[in-house]
Amino acid sequence: MNNLDKYNDIFAQVFGAKVEELGDSYSKENVSAWDSVHQLNIISLMEEIFDLMLDPEDIMACTSYNAGKEILAKNGIEL
Amino acid sequence: MLLNLDHIAPKRLAAIDNDGKQVTYAEILRLADDITTQVTERALCFMMVDNNVESLTWVMASLISKRLVPLILNAKTDEALYKNLLQTYRPKYIWKAGTLQRTDYPIVPLHPNLSHLLPTSGSTGSPKLIRHKYENIEAAGLNISTFFELKETDRPLMVLPLYYTMGLSMVFSHLRVGATVLITNRSMTDATFWKFIKDEHATSFTGVPYSFQILNLMRFFRMDLPDLELLTQGGGKMPHDLNVEFAKYCRDHNKRWIATYGQSECTARMAYLPAKWALDKVGSIGIAVPNGELSLIDENGTPITTPHTEGEMCYRGKNVTMGYAFSLEDLTKGDERNGFIRTGDLAYFDEDKCYYIVGRLGRFIKLFGMRVGLDECEQIIANDCQTECACVGTDEKMVVYITDATKQQAVKETLVEKTHIVATSFEIRLIDTIPKNEAGKKLYSKLENK
Repeated sequence: MNNLDKYNDIFAQVFGAKVEELGDSYSKENVSAWDSVHQLNIISLMEEIFDLMLDPEDIMACTSYNAGKEILAKNGIEL
Repeated sequence: MLLNLDHIAPKRLAAIDNDGKQVTYAEILRLADDITTQVTERALCFMMVDNNVESLTWVMASLISKRLVPLILNAKTDEALYKNLLQTYRPKYIWKAGTLQRTDYPIVPLHPNLSHLLPTSGSTGSPKLIRHKYENIEAAGLNISTFFELKETDRPLMVLPLYYTMGLSMVFSHLRVGATVLITNRSMTDATFWKFIKDEHATSFTGVPYSFQILNLMRFFRMDLPDLELLTQGGGKMPHDLNVEFAKYCRDHNKRWIATYGQSECTARMAYLPAKWALDKVGSIGIAVPNGELSLIDENGTPITTPHTEGEMCYRGKNVTMGYAFSLEDLTKGDERNGFIRTGDLAYFDEDKCYYIVGRLGRFIKLFGMRVGLDECEQIIANDCQTECACVGTDEKMVVYITDATKQQAVKETLVEKTHIVATSFEIRLIDTIPKNEAGKKLYSKLENK
């Protein structure tokens, strides 16, 4: 699995999302299940899978599929 | 007067919310008077609440007036469930989006002691409600404010929902002492939440286990929150390591860490672990709240008096609710419990009479005639495999739901190793997320158990 697959798989695990659904509009505003519990799970998985320790700012900013990508990029993870 | 609220300085702030709205004690009492004028007969009212000042004010004013008997519901309640409740309970009033509306349903008799109704936690789609009496509010207010040593200058942060027993009891106990509740509807992963806690100088935080998982993830231990003096936890057992971490942090930073135990059936808190034992007895629910009494009975109903002997935990106190309602007719019923309840939880106590929950009655299965605790298995998996899970099952087989595909083999191996039961008795299934209610409690009824 490459990094992008791993990243997409997080959303599959947390929301049961299919790859086709993931994109610009996949965000807290548009995904009704996206609450703090889900956000917590995304963050936990990102930290675990990519071996990171994210800052609270990153955790708060992680409110969309794209934002998560930016956070990974900021932490030196190439997708 | 409910909770002696007329003895609080009228100009004091009772609550502040995330949108900057505020309400004084006097304003709550004034709304109560308005309700008494407008509503001439006691009537059921569905209150669709959000965690804000307006909802808190209306709930409290209704309780004070004793004219509106609220069924307190999440404003975002699922449409089908809401309609089902509406048809079952036919309320004369609905309070929604800030306005009180009359319906065409006729007025029906309500028991004079009935104060409010809450949905049973964990079950959605069920019209099963918990019937509270005014005396429960007084008892919860008194007991909880006593053991937390609440005072007028407290500014508790309330992130738990108003329609959830622990959230509501926070309001009762703090208003009783004239404190100012900081009520928020923001997610703990939202920047505005953290701005609110800092700007408003919150002095305490109350959460369920997952709230503390978020705090931990948000690097709470590195934050500078000098006003925060008390952390309290309820709503289920904390993961052991996380509990230790918070207890140690509080010990080292001159804060109090108090774990509690409670049920909706008892107006929230029933037991608490005094801060002095937070580390020595980590995992214990502690002792009964003031004016309450815990006890254990064995399978025959005989009291257990020896430490370290498991039995069903029972509770006696004025915060025990009157019973359940399943239909409109049930709202005329009086107290069916008379201050005593069997909790359905299995526990033992130690030499200091501190109680430890070991499982829930009914939350076990029998494999090859051997009793296997589902909660205990979850605990084992959580500890040994570091993964979230939900165990359900029948006497044929245990079904374990996990969210991490990589742990499938490890979970099975651990269970086999710990229980010494053959591997075919365990089926490990993958699921996207473990279904939970808003309070973070697992919704086992949503998981197929065969």
